[in-house]
Amino acid sequence: MKKVIEVNNLTKEYKGVKAVDDLSFDVNEGEILGLLGPNGSGKSTTINSILSLLNYKSGNIKIFGKKMDTNAYDIKSKIGVVFQDVAVFDELTVYENIDYFCGLYITDKNKRKQYVSDALDLVGLKEFTKFRPKQLSGGLLRRLNIACGIAHKPKLIFLDEPTVAVDPQSRNNILDGIKKLRDNGATIVYTTHYMEEVEILCDRVIIIDKGKIIATGTVDELKNLSNIKEKVTVEVLDLSDKYIEEIMSLKNVDSVIYQNNELFVTYKKGKNNIVEMIDYFKNKRINYSKIFVERPTLNDVFLELTGKELRD
Amino acid sequence: MTVFKAFLKILNRNKGIVIMYTVILLVFGVTNMSTNNSNNLFTASKPSVLIVNEDNGNISKNLVKYFNENSEIKKIANNEEARNDALFYQDVSYIIYIPKNYSSDFLSGKNITLDIKKTDTYNGAYAEMLLNRYLNVANIYQKSVSDENELINKINETLKKEVKVEVTSKLNTGELDKASFYYNFMSYSMLACLIYVICLILQVFNQDKISKRNIISSTNYKKSNRILLLSNFLYSFVLWLFYFIVSMFIVPEVIFSMHGVLYLINSFIFMITCITLSFLLGNLIRNKNAISGVVNVVALGSSFLCGVFVPVNLLPSFVLSVAHIFPTFYYVEGNTLISSLEDFSFINLKPLFMNFIIMIIFCIVFIILTNIVSKKRQKIG
Repeated sequence: MKKVIEVNNLTKEYKGVKAVDDLSFDVNEGEILGLLGPNGSGKSTTINSILSLLNYKSGNIKIFGKKMDTNAYDIKSKIGVVFQDVAVFDELTVYENIDYFCGLYITDKNKRKQYVSDALDLVGLKEFTKFRPKQLSGGLLRRLNIACGIAHKPKLIFLDEPTVAVDPQSRNNILDGIKKLRDNGATIVYTTHYMEEVEILCDRVIIIDKGKIIATGTVDELKNLSNIKEKVTVEVLDLSDKYIEEIMSLKNVDSVIYQNNELFVTYKKGKNNIVEMIDYFKNKRINYSKIFVERPTLNDVFLELTGKELRD
Repeated sequence: MTVFKAFLKILNRNKGIVIMYTVILLVFGVTNMSTNNSNNLFTASKPSVLIVNEDNGNISKNLVKYFNENSEIKKIANNEEARNDALFYQDVSYIIYIPKNYSSDFLSGKNITLDIKKTDTYNGAYAEMLLNRYLNVANIYQKSVSDENELINKINETLKKEVKVEVTSKLNTGELDKASFYYNFMSYSMLACLIYVICLILQVFNQDKISKRNIISSTNYKKSNRILLLSNFLYSFVLWLFYFIVSMFIVPEVIFSMHGVLYLINSFIFMITCITLSFLLGNLIRNKNAISGVVNVVALGSSFLCGVFVPVNLLPSFVLSVAHIFPTFYYVEGNTLISSLEDFSFINLKPLFMNFIIMIIFCIVFIILTNIVSKKRQKIG
């Protein structure tokens, strides 16, 4: 598969502290690569280094097979970036903003008009073309931010936490838009600390912590790294310590936590452990309101690998 | 074109504050100039003199007559207290005490000194000059002429002699001074306006978030900076043209002459210097709220130091030494040179051309510094 980005031994330091530590990875053409990690893990620094916005201490970065640097305008023409902070002109309207940023890449007026129109369609801002950024809600503003970054139809798109502080409706709209971009053939690097988005969108995930890659693979591959195979949650009132101890001794049970009238049971192996759990409650004549089983999340994987939550 | 269009749109969105700033500074300049108009008007005045004559001789009478012709003789109550009050309240500027037997003592060659009292005013000094002139002439003739009437005639003849002065200069100094004042003040007004507007617009383009997007785009960052510089030039040219048109109404006689052409060239070169300076400041300033402060420090500060508000000849030498580091100094000096130009030979114009060159060197330095600053801005950390 053709490599769009090749990062080799990238190291970036801030005043002697390593923000990115000997990072190496590739991004393949047409895939959505998720860069997952908590705040301050080095995701944005990695992207800024790839884009040559930052000087880095050592390493080698190639995009589309060519060395990336500040003056690599032929490479830059194929890249679109959506930054974490909304980067638009307050003085210009929605249309004028998209037209300006698209105009930095596309000089043909008619082609640009079409591209701006397509971008407005993609993010669902057709009705707001004459609005100024200050007149838009947070969600709409984020959509404008995305439209400004991708209007010129780049082949490689960096999306740096584009859904931070966005309402659910706008988030769904943004995620749909990203899927459309992928379907249109764009390669996407997507950084976030929302594991749900990674699970929905990403073909491959790199988990970063303290500037280092701690795991990489597809979502399923990462989940298989976890010692936990199943999680059963039961909503039950006033469960005594005696019962908790008994549940702990059941087959395949790894851990039991009971708090706020919810019982969390994790299993190291086995399938359909929920059946045994239902039988146990039935035999003991304990009433419960809800019981469900789920597979481990990426957060569980991250927790196991680093000892902390993704949103810490 | 994209950058230029965005520049125009942003300028348009800020047009209220831009127009307000320009109009205020222009009105301030024109008002200042009109209140300064009287500076070059001169009116003849006579000092008010009181003569306390205790002598009855012809020599002293001739002295009183001379003062009658050349000054305003005041009559004050005949006591010393009233005379002192008159001096204090400047009803009189000069008091001459002629003692008894002054005429006979003078004729006999005695060295007599006249008592005087005076105010430390221009009129007091002028009256003293009249008295000295009379006494010097009288003393010269007294040594060779013994007859009293002949002596008086000789004194009067000499004092009546006038030197004919022909003014050969055809300069309309009043209008030229007016033009100089207008163009000098224009330097403050234009510098303040350009720094404010250019910094305001660059601040929008140089916001970290926008700047990052511009840097990662396929548009060459230097090229985009050049377009911004040219866009700012367009705005500055319109402003300069506006000031020029106003000057056509204020000092038309000067503007449609060789002096006017030189004022235009001087102000045009200064405008370019202002653009490059404003562009450099615009690239350095990161906070919108700092713009007004920078305008005051740079535009107002340099104007005070370089003789825009206070004539250069009234400024202390150490201030002028500092002023040399500002382009405004060379611009103001250029205006002063232009207003005094009688003919336009190369030798006369050479100092002016030197000032033009110095201002152009300032431009080049500002452009180089801007390039260094903007190159550093291509990286965010």
